[in-house]
Amino acid sequence: MKIGIPRALLYHYYYTFWRTLFEELGCEVILSDETNSKIVSEGSKVTVSEICVPIKIFNGHVLNLEKKNVDYIFIPQFHKVKKEWYCPKFLGIPELVEYSIENLATPLIVLDYITKTDMIDSFAVHKPLLNILNVTSMQLKKALKSAREKQLKFRSICKNGYTVPEAYNFLFDGKPLPGKKKSEITIGLMGYVYNVYDNFVSMNTIKKLEDMGAGIITFDMLDEEEIKIDKKEIKQPFWTFSRKIYNASKQLINSGKIDGMIHITAFGCGPDSIIGKMMEIDCEEKNIPFMTVRVDEHSGDNHVNTRLEAFTDMIKMHKRKGGNQ
Amino acid sequence: MDIFIGIDTGSVSTNVIALDENINVLFSKYIRTKGQPINSVKEGMAMLKEELDDSCVVKAVGVTGSGRQMIGLMVGADVVKNEITAHAAATTHFYPDVQTIFEIGGQDSKIIIVKNGIVTDFSMNTVCAAGTGSFLDHQSERLGVDISEFGDLALTAQNDVRIAGRCTVFAESDMIAKQQYGYSKADIIKGLCDALVRNYLNNLGRGKTLNPPFVFQGGVAANKGIIKAFEDQIGHEVIIPKHFNVMGAIGMAIMAKNQVEHSGQSSKFKGFDFINLEFTPKSFECTGCANSCEVIKVINNGKTIAMWGDKCGKWSSSI
Repeated sequence: MKIGIPRALLYHYYYTFWRTLFEELGCEVILSDETNSKIVSEGSKVTVSEICVPIKIFNGHVLNLEKKNVDYIFIPQFHKVKKEWYCPKFLGIPELVEYSIENLATPLIVLDYITKTDMIDSFAVHKPLLNILNVTSMQLKKALKSAREKQLKFRSICKNGYTVPEAYNFLFDGKPLPGKKKSEITIGLMGYVYNVYDNFVSMNTIKKLEDMGAGIITFDMLDEEEIKIDKKEIKQPFWTFSRKIYNASKQLINSGKIDGMIHITAFGCGPDSIIGKMMEIDCEEKNIPFMTVRVDEHSGDNHVNTRLEAFTDMIKMHKRKGGNQ
Repeated sequence: MDIFIGIDTGSVSTNVIALDENINVLFSKYIRTKGQPINSVKEGMAMLKEELDDSCVVKAVGVTGSGRQMIGLMVGADVVKNEITAHAAATTHFYPDVQTIFEIGGQDSKIIIVKNGIVTDFSMNTVCAAGTGSFLDHQSERLGVDISEFGDLALTAQNDVRIAGRCTVFAESDMIAKQQYGYSKADIIKGLCDALVRNYLNNLGRGKTLNPPFVFQGGVAANKGIIKAFEDQIGHEVIIPKHFNVMGAIGMAIMAKNQVEHSGQSSKFKGFDFINLEFTPKSFECTGCANSCEVIKVINNGKTIAMWGDKCGKWSSSI
């Protein structure tokens, strides 16, 4: 049985889990192609225009999988973690796909993720797989256990300072983890995994920063413990990933590890309009340079290059003059 | 004499300047680009060559502006940098205590915040050109007033007219309505200047503390109406540098000079001969994958000397 997974949204966080799970259950996992302009334009064509680009891209990846002869397309519906919610678009993603794409030929596997923590290995959530894949409870439990272990391994690699693509290359393609380079400056690169690690959307921001001599730290390089719900705060963002990013930014600002912060956000993102401003205010208080990079369907990267270069130049000059920020 | 060249190749204007070793501006040319960046640079460099005598030696060249990659390659630049760094380098040289730089060019505008001679924050306009020179160009055409007379006319206004500066489309419908109400051209032009500055400060200055001294540069700083609007709205004097419309180019010459002096290497400048060479930019759509990148290549003498625009590096790394 072939299961297609769209290379979009939380693929950039839970792929290890899903691939291990489906493979343990005797399936073959087929990924959609890496985001390219065809995927973006086909996705945009079928999706309502006012929605953010990562969701449009998700539809583009579903369409891409339609051509890959898979038996099912897997659509994870991220719902809530304890009292925290995901962005409403994640809650509605199966319906969004079904109503956007007419005459979808491939059947969908939809799993509704309501979990207690960041680890998504709940048996109840995955129960629908028993019938769809015709497996026993025992088999599913065993597969979930393996998936959990592999996911933890993935997370431990990230926490050692590697990016998600570096971890995937290591885990699934046998590529060695790259040597750690010493960089002149360090930037906190804040943003959702599907914006930061999708090279088309981010216009290769990570590579560009590295070429300019800047190392990066992302929220996924921090331990869950460090960025968990802060009970001392009166208010915390109540969307899971927004809270992770906001708390990571606070952590990094106070750690003294970063010389500047860049927020990558998709045009029209609701939660980001709030946490983006909060991060900016926090940075201002600590005199840490902050910049927003807004991404959308457009693919001209001149404006991103100019901003990244000006931002890194500015920070380097600070440092060279003795860091009197 | 040693000279240092700075080039700013923008969408609306191309600027070529030359400095002596004491950062005196020996030559300065502001040319309308008219969609021909290569020819504009050649034109400017040819004029510069005319002015130089045999004793002049080009010690360094720096290039900025939206066409910097291509032009930098063509002339053999020592430093190729973004516009923000370039502008700040020039302003902080002439005004070491500057704290806020307003720069309004043809299609982009920026605010640069400086502390102790170092850039600490900046913002640029994003998707809209409503607060830039193009907006004024467009409206001057509509009103039938030459852009060079715009500022003087604004100063003769008798009445305050509020015009929406958020968008050229809305500004236009506002202007038509106000003309029908009987306001003079001068009043309306003043209203436009106020609208542009209001829009600029709202968009780019939001959430930032703007401290004096203020320096205003870029092509739009030629417009007295805009200068007046700035001074009215921020309630403080605004300094206009002598070479306000070529500051980016000056900054690049300064940076190129520093770089060459710092590294001790000789300049990569290819000499003035390139003026007579043919550089043809061509673009094609790569069919290697679904990205269909628009790849640009520059051909000189039948030989491709540079390629860019591809996401994967297949073409750009082939040179």
